[in-house]
Amino acid sequence: MLKPYQEKIETIKNEIFEMGEIVTYANKVSLSALKENDLSMLKDISLSIKKIAIKSNEIDNLIVKTLALYSPEARDLREMVSFLKITNEITRASTYSKTFIKTFKKSFTDDLDKHTILEYAIPLLKSANLALQTSLDMIKETDDKIIEEMFNKVSVEDSKTDDLYSMVEKNILKLITKNIELSKDYFEVLSSLRKLEKISGRASSIANLLVFAEVGGEIEQA
Amino acid sequence: MSKENKNTIKVDVKELNLWYGENHAVHNISVPLYENKITALIGPSGCGKSTFLRCLNRMNDLISIVKIDGSVVIDKKNIYDKDVDEVSVRKRVGMVFQQPNPFPKSIYDNVAYAPLKHSIVKKGKACDELVEKSLRDAGLWEEVKNKLNDPGTSLSGGQQQRLCIARTIAVKPEVILMDEPTSALDPISTEKIEALMLELKKKYTIIIVTHNMQQAARIADYTAFFHLGKMIEYDETETIFVNPSNKKTEDYITGRFG
Repeated sequence: MLKPYQEKIETIKNEIFEMGEIVTYANKVSLSALKENDLSMLKDISLSIKKIAIKSNEIDNLIVKTLALYSPEARDLREMVSFLKITNEITRASTYSKTFIKTFKKSFTDDLDKHTILEYAIPLLKSANLALQTSLDMIKETDDKIIEEMFNKVSVEDSKTDDLYSMVEKNILKLITKNIELSKDYFEVLSSLRKLEKISGRASSIANLLVFAEVGGEIEQA
Repeated sequence: MSKENKNTIKVDVKELNLWYGENHAVHNISVPLYENKITALIGPSGCGKSTFLRCLNRMNDLISIVKIDGSVVIDKKNIYDKDVDEVSVRKRVGMVFQQPNPFPKSIYDNVAYAPLKHSIVKKGKACDELVEKSLRDAGLWEEVKNKLNDPGTSLSGGQQQRLCIARTIAVKPEVILMDEPTSALDPISTEKIEALMLELKKKYTIIIVTHNMQQAARIADYTAFFHLGKMIEYDETETIFVNPSNKKTEDYITGRFG
């Protein structure tokens, strides 16, 4: 492999990782806000979807140039195709994070049963972000065994978010039946938590793409 | 080229024309070739790219029916001026050919021959050092250091081509011309030569003719597309391979003609 090609791959990996870090950082701050029950912290999160989209376009253009100049084959080709799709997955994850922050901040009022919601919302957000962070860490990993372990970890966290969402959904529906007048707020909170479940879905998709890049087969996205 | 270019021009070709008898083979080509950069010349067979390449070290002077006008300025001096000796031009502008063509001499003598002939070094330690340095720069030293007296022709094709490159750089040229240097080599040897070119460009200006589009894309900083003796497009390689401005260039690099 020629040195300039290796350098391009490293640049692309770093750029994708940095793009993902913007989203995971926003999620970490959200998690702190929920843990400390201080939603004012959510105001400080600057997650610009426009900036993420610009970054995604920059990386995609870099990938197109690299494809044109180096005509990668086999593993190298799979890797490039995966990267092209991963930027899209991160963009979608960032949209979910942004929507979660916006909707949760608006609808999580003092009238709601905060304790019941947070009991599952906090681990849900933690799992979703852990899934995303692990899938991003996979980008820089080269050891097949470790990649497999990380893939399994993402799958576990994705499965956990499904279960946690089901539980919080069940509890919130119970609260709605008791407080019909607050149903709108409860539904909005539920809708915002659904976005967290979707973040882990994108993480799972990223992990699948990276396994495809590493071991081959066919593209299977979650 | 659209963008401002801050590179130093090493070879400035202006309005270069070449005729083989009545056949106008190279049409009015003007192009700046940049120092410490690799420039690839691509185009279908018979488009004039190798003829153009040979104009850069006056190799076409050896053909009696050739007529050339225009200028090829290297470091402010037109190499076609009457007071310029073509042998000194070929010393400054070395050439590597398609087929590896080592002399029927030892590996050592292949490299030492020209520097001794041009009195760049004298026999002895200085010559030994130059041979070693040239072979090291050509990425061949480790493979041949224990068999310098073996015939050059005993090496593999890829090694022979690197020997030819060592032979070229032994006379300390400023520019290296390469005419399809890897077309007779397998992919592993090709990659070694390509990696070598990327190293060599730090010291030399390289101009390469290649039919391998991917090779041009991989290693060249600039690419010129030739067609029917004319230079159709010249730009940064990235532009040529991602967003060429001429339809003929796009059709050629996407395999729609040629």
